[in-house]
Amino acid sequence: MIRSQKFWIAVCAVIFAVSVIACVIILTRPHGSKVIIKQDGRVVMTLDLDRESDRTVEFVYEGRKNVLEIKNGGVRMLSADCPDHVCVHTGWLRSGIPIVCLPNKLTVEFADSEEDAVAR
Amino acid sequence: MNIKRMTVLALLTSLALIIFVVELQMPPIAPIPGMKIGFANIVTVYAVYKFNARECALLLLSRILLGCLLAGNMISLIYSLSGGALCLAGMLLLHKVIDKKHMWVCSILGAVLHNIGQTVAALALMQTAAVLSYFPFLTAVGCVAGLFTGICAQLVVDRIDLSD
Amino acid sequence: MFERGSEMKKLLCIFAAAITFLFTGCASEPAKRSFFAMDTYITVTAYGDNAENAVKDSEQLVLSLEKLWSVTYPESEISKINTANGKAVKVSEKTAEIISFSKNMNAYTGGSLDISVYPLVKEWGFTGDSFHVPAQEKISELLSRVDAQSISVNENTVTLKKDMMIDLGAVAKGYACDLLAEQLKNSGVKSAIIDLGGNIRTVGKKTDGSLWKVGLRSPESDDLFGTLTLGEGAVATSGGYERYFEADGKRYCHIIDPETGCPAESGLLSVSVISPEGKLSDALSTALFVCGADKARELWKKLGGFDYIAVTDKHEVLVTSGAADVFELDVSCSDWKVTVVV
Repeated sequence: MIRSQKFWIAVCAVIFAVSVIACVIILTRPHGSKVIIKQDGRVVMTLDLDRESDRTVEFVYEGRKNVLEIKNGGVRMLSADCPDHVCVHTGWLRSGIPIVCLPNKLTVEFADSEEDAVAR
Repeated sequence: MNIKRMTVLALLTSLALIIFVVELQMPPIAPIPGMKIGFANIVTVYAVYKFNARECALLLLSRILLGCLLAGNMISLIYSLSGGALCLAGMLLLHKVIDKKHMWVCSILGAVLHNIGQTVAALALMQTAAVLSYFPFLTAVGCVAGLFTGICAQLVVDRIDLSD
Repeated sequence: MFERGSEMKKLLCIFAAAITFLFTGCASEPAKRSFFAMDTYITVTAYGDNAENAVKDSEQLVLSLEKLWSVTYPESEISKINTANGKAVKVSEKTAEIISFSKNMNAYTGGSLDISVYPLVKEWGFTGDSFHVPAQEKISELLSRVDAQSISVNENTVTLKKDMMIDLGAVAKGYACDLLAEQLKNSGVKSAIIDLGGNIRTVGKKTDGSLWKVGLRSPESDDLFGTLTLGEGAVATSGGYERYFEADGKRYCHIIDPETGCPAESGLLSVSVISPEGKLSDALSTALFVCGADKARELWKKLGGFDYIAVTDKHEVLVTSGAADVFELDVSCSDWKVTVVV
């Protein structure tokens, strides 16, 4: 293994720089309005935020509840039966940053990689 | 292992445990699951430079198990174990080439490995690639946190000598 | 602790670079505006420096077009034409253009597109909610009022024969897309995508030079049956799956065949047309849906300048050769047969 201290310092610097750039790229990517909600690895619901009216949706997993709020074309976790409530603190769904409730295996994310529009 | 060493390890375990539990009471620093400073790692990094591999593993494993018990959160056990194991393994290897003056470097790399371990566990459990998008954020903050905890451990390592 | 100078400097440089990056990233966020107009939902997404203002103007433009063309708004130019009782009506340039265009399309498509079918649309109940199957005599009587070629467009005056009524539903959205695209370009926007109730119009390519991905809604489910990858152009879809009613086990859709006076039954579930212009795509998608697969192929060979993707009621996807490269079937429909039309 390489013994030079400078080498390992450089490795740290590179990792840090790359991760910061990746963060910036993720945060500035535009997104569509299709939202995919998965629980336990399976898609349980998709939303088209452009067409949704304000409402709440509940998901139950092993007796624990997550309540998703759809309001003004946005979506966020209103409440959750989980220890840390990180999902609630994530706030409104933003491009590239999914709302994830790890204990309840629930994810809410924009379908970024798909179409820019749908002809219908 | 003699009694003195075992006692010292037990002391360090308690110390790490207390720091861990106190940190749990703090509000999350960002809305990303698994993101924290990891102050308890100060003890881990210190141990890597003062004790042998088996002792470090014992220390970390005990702290993680007791910590999850005390926190009442068994789900986080898997994440803590996978992150902690990868982090410790990496740091134990790296401390052979990274000297005491640069412990903070070892700590940063340990933090990054911890995040990798956690993310892999999350991928396996959640079965969705959504968790990958958290990784850059975890890593960026992890580098800064690792730097901080590494510096703390470094400041302490020469001033306090609990090993034989 | 830190070796003097170099490592510290290196770290600080990375920090500085990272912060700079954070600020430069702000420019690539698109300006997006969604609103209800023309009896549908519209989203305009534009990229670039003047994008925010440009999309605000977009909303204004569509609302103004609605005031001109809405057949349900009594003060609109179309309403005035429909109630003029045979007299000439002075209209704005845009209205004269779109009616003239519709008249030409009527000729090109051999009558499959006819904006004067409105009395029949009303009779079947698609303008309100009172759907019913009219008696054959009524249909025949109303059919005598359907004759796009008799619409007279002279400079900026439009004259309909007595008892005739027109409705721009088959072309208005596509036309609006073109006007929106023109306005966006005049505002300096080089990359944009307009979704006007399902009529898609793109401006330029995406900001990174890549092509737009436009999904095609399946006539059978809420999902997509395929995706198109294209640069600047327009996509419009006509189908019987969005507005229809059922009576005695039979489904009647809102697209009336100008020849029979009844909802189109050509064996197609949906037709999507790709062309450089929204008005062309919109008009042709309706016409091709009415005339069916065989006539659609004839028209395609005769007219050129567009491509289409049609889904038959046997789940066969007919793709014209010009669209074969840009169309991709969705995995959920992998059992559908794709045939390239040459």
